[in-house]
Amino acid sequence: MPAPPQPEVRPPAGLWELYLGFLSIGARSFGGVLPWAYRVMVEEKRWLAPADFAEVIALCQFLPGPNVGNAAVVLGRRWFGLGGAVVAFAGLMALPLVWVLALAVLYTEWAMHPAVRAAVTGIGVAGGGLFIGTALKLAKPLAGRPWGIALAAGCFAAVALGRASLFVVLPVAVLLAWVAARKGRL
Amino acid sequence: MGEVVLYFALLSLISVGGIPSVMPEMQRLVVETKGWASAEEFTQLFAVAQAAPGPNVLVTALIGWKVYGIPGAFVALAAFCAPAAALAYSVGGFWDRMRQAPWRRHVQRALVPVTVGLVLAGGWVLATPLGAEDWRTGAIAGAASAALYSTRLNPLWILAAGGALGLLLF
Repeated sequence: MPAPPQPEVRPPAGLWELYLGFLSIGARSFGGVLPWAYRVMVEEKRWLAPADFAEVIALCQFLPGPNVGNAAVVLGRRWFGLGGAVVAFAGLMALPLVWVLALAVLYTEWAMHPAVRAAVTGIGVAGGGLFIGTALKLAKPLAGRPWGIALAAGCFAAVALGRASLFVVLPVAVLLAWVAARKGRL
Repeated sequence: MGEVVLYFALLSLISVGGIPSVMPEMQRLVVETKGWASAEEFTQLFAVAQAAPGPNVLVTALIGWKVYGIPGAFVALAAFCAPAAALAYSVGGFWDRMRQAPWRRHVQRALVPVTVGLVLAGGWVLATPLGAEDWRTGAIAGAASAALYSTRLNPLWILAAGGALGLLLF
């Protein structure tokens, strides 16, 4: 069976289209931005091929800062320079920011209500659990690599249990990990 | 507010792995160093950010809002995003050219265990607002992490279930 014809990939026509695209990513991305970024940019608007998307995300996961925020900057710049970077980032953040501040104000109104506090604490603790689940997924490549496991455990112990400052732990950990990676231990 | 701007801007540049990695450091600043919120309030602020659409970096806006109101929200978000965004803006092309360079692979591999440890720590500080020995938070966080790890459920449902369990247990 012949493969279905690939629809053509075409960058956004202008800043307004770019803004609306990122606005729709931000507005719909409950429970995680990445799947919606993929759906809007690759599947709906066809601004990017799947491989382009994966490459941009790999870079943005490596860079510090919010992944999808970085992707907005990198792609906005690629298509329209500085203006594009600003417009894409603003589009991504605009509606979620309004939403989260409205929720925060609403929450303050209701915070004295014990049931509300109990539910919100439950959500936050479950959110912490999501981080733990994410860390376990990320840890899969470390299986059978004692150096990697020791480094991850050391970072966890220093930061979570020892409450050491990240500004101290991170440089030391990255240096050790770099040495281990060069020796082929990671 | 200048101190917070500087602190967030520096944190921005070391936030490899995004917000989850710097969560323990933010909690340390807000709860332990400054005393702006209790550990429980910090977890609740994070919950509010999780219940909104958009990147989880919005929690920085909520920290700013908690301390300095609406202007604080914008300033904190900008302080945390701008330095990383400037870096992303300037290295995009460079990174593509380095695709074959061995150091790029080394750096990518080196960051995996560090990110794992820090994201785990971020989960830990958020999931233990009542102390490490509280079985209720342990049960909710354990169930949530297992659900994320082994199912393809939308995380939003996991958070909703956490809210329901919170109502029952706390």
